[in-house]
Amino acid sequence: MIEPTRTDGYAAIRDYAAIGDGRTVALVARDGSIDWLCLPDLDSASVFGALLDADRGGRFALAPEVPYGATRRYLPGTNVLETTFTTATGAVRVTDAMTLPASGFAPYRELVRRVEGVAGCVPLAWQVEPRLQYGSSPARVSSRGGVATVADGRDALAVFSWDAGEATVSDGSVGARFEASEGTVGHLVVSAAHQEPLVYPSRAEVEARLQATAATWRDWSAGREYDGPWRDAVLRSALVLKLLVFAPSGAIAAAPTTSLPEQIGGERNWDYRYSWPRDAAFTLRALLSLGCSSEAHAFFAWLLHASQLTHPKVQVLYRLNGRPEAAERSLALAGYRGSRPVRVGNGAAGQTQLDVYGEVLDAAAEFARFAGTLDRDHAKRLVGIADFVCEIWRERDAGIWETRSEPTHFTQSKMMCFVALDRACALAGQGLLRGDVDRWSRERERIREFVETRCYAEHKRSYTRSADDDALDAALLLGVIARYDDPNSPRLRDTVDAVRRELGRGPLLHRYLDTDGLAGEDGAFVACSFWLVEAYARQGRLDEAAELMDELVALANDVGLYAEEIDAKTSDFLGNFPQGLSHLALINAAGAIAEARR
Amino acid sequence: MIWGAIVGGFVGTLVLTTVLRAASEFGWTRMDIPFLIGTAITADRVRAKAVGYALHFVFGLLFALVYYTIFAVLDESGLLLGALFGLVHALFASTALVNVLLPVVHPRMGTGFDAAGSAPLLEPPGFLLLNYGRQTPLATVIAHIFYGAIVGGFVAWAG
Repeated sequence: MIEPTRTDGYAAIRDYAAIGDGRTVALVARDGSIDWLCLPDLDSASVFGALLDADRGGRFALAPEVPYGATRRYLPGTNVLETTFTTATGAVRVTDAMTLPASGFAPYRELVRRVEGVAGCVPLAWQVEPRLQYGSSPARVSSRGGVATVADGRDALAVFSWDAGEATVSDGSVGARFEASEGTVGHLVVSAAHQEPLVYPSRAEVEARLQATAATWRDWSAGREYDGPWRDAVLRSALVLKLLVFAPSGAIAAAPTTSLPEQIGGERNWDYRYSWPRDAAFTLRALLSLGCSSEAHAFFAWLLHASQLTHPKVQVLYRLNGRPEAAERSLALAGYRGSRPVRVGNGAAGQTQLDVYGEVLDAAAEFARFAGTLDRDHAKRLVGIADFVCEIWRERDAGIWETRSEPTHFTQSKMMCFVALDRACALAGQGLLRGDVDRWSRERERIREFVETRCYAEHKRSYTRSADDDALDAALLLGVIARYDDPNSPRLRDTVDAVRRELGRGPLLHRYLDTDGLAGEDGAFVACSFWLVEAYARQGRLDEAAELMDELVALANDVGLYAEEIDAKTSDFLGNFPQGLSHLALINAAGAIAEARR
Repeated sequence: MIWGAIVGGFVGTLVLTTVLRAASEFGWTRMDIPFLIGTAITADRVRAKAVGYALHFVFGLLFALVYYTIFAVLDESGLLLGALFGLVHALFASTALVNVLLPVVHPRMGTGFDAAGSAPLLEPPGFLLLNYGRQTPLATVIAHIFYGAIVGGFVAWAG
């Protein structure tokens, strides 16, 4: 049992758990405070944003009024969180969920907190401080017919409580104090509306929806087909991915947060509430290996639909609704532990990143292997993309890490251009694409020549971060994973060793140690660490893979979630959270070991 | 001609719906008439919207016939008179209709007598629909003036 703590009003990123409903995600701190919730969708403005400004962001606090310890877990197979607060006088269990719309008349979005006394008597207090529009909208909570309501333009929310004290509405909040004794059950509900009147839920329906939500998650989990090693971690990762699937479109968000810093107090703060085509191949492989065929199909369709607007160019990222705009701006928020700026939008959308094309065509090949065919329109688009790669692969780009320094010839970008044309040729060979295969094949070999002559350092015995350079980059591991060459080719085998030697910090890997145009340093990148596991597995080094996997799985937080990065010295989480790519990499690493063992 | 009222009612409802939807998209209001009407029939959100749109057009035609009757009694019609009817219609709709009559027939519409009790309820619109956003009365009035002018114009044009 851990006594929750905060630094300057901020919980550690590691102390959060995520709940969601396929449209949006809330982050619940170990101390019971919901510090992040965007409504109505994951990429909308925040209503609770204390994560990024402890004073003005808004939160939904719920905790004992006396010293306590907290333990928590997800209800098995679900994204329903259960936190148990234990005090000297008793214990109380809080069940948190964003309910899923079942049959019946449900609010547009609904956050439910069920408070159950399990032993003795615990004095509790709750307070909802909604701050619409990232805290920029006036925080006026009013009582309308006894219902605490806050509204601004298209959005409104109402707070309901049953057996949770006599709620008092003040100007900017609503809250109450009450005692939970053994056997009592209270409910707290936030009902949100968007472009429609608020729905006032009944208590009985709230409880029914909470139970139905847990059952729906359990059913979904039961349908996952993975029965290999590290099953619990893989299943939790699958549930995290499902939280990040934006159900209305099929897009998968990189993370549900913005501007959680890669360095505390630093400027490396980005908005990840977008979908990155770059993650397409990882995503499809992970989804298909788990038996999530409908999600895989929806994501692939979304990917090609979204990129239609920019065809043949594939933008680095798209909004969850498929639109290409992602103008970046800063908010007047204090930032997580003073990490400014707080950005919304993502300027990386306008960058050139050549690796994207390899990921898209690799995803197409993956999808075609699963479906046995490709839609005719999709096939035409993929031909256009392959032709485009032939034209642009010689350009410099910003690379997979979206560096904001001068564009350069990143090796991994060139490798993925090779992969793009290689997969295009393979799909053509299967009769699924009709295009200028001779040209694709010719350019593919030219890329290979470029990489082999300019992107390999003999004295390091490794491919390098960029052409005519001798720095390393963990993204080179993707050369093994995406099959740029035989995984056991001497150069790739040596590169894997060199990357671990130079970039490794215990079980973790840094992305690179070179400059990237930004001040400060970031932590070790979780996905890269799992890529190393997968690379080992693809090279048949199963003992090394399994040993590293064990160490990495142990680094998850208490409910099995990962941020984007981990501080190799302190094990603190850094960056946006929970991070889809980290969990995708975990699933694929476990799957690769399982496959190699078979 | 009664056909003028029917065509005007259809086109007017189309424009009214579009204006209110645009106001919603611009963040001026959370009012959603098809949703309000549809949820009186069913608790299923998707069906409610579909049923609501259909009934909204039926009501649009019925109101056009009421306009037509008054035009006939006055022996006068036209854009301006129609717009005036639209203004009165909007004031009636946003006061008596949705606050007094709608809760009577709408099983899920909240009133001042309801607590958050046994059945899920829709947020009541409040005087002049102000609960759905401060610009709601303005959007409603503009939309209904368009509606009235279109009905009046079609009736006058059809002779």
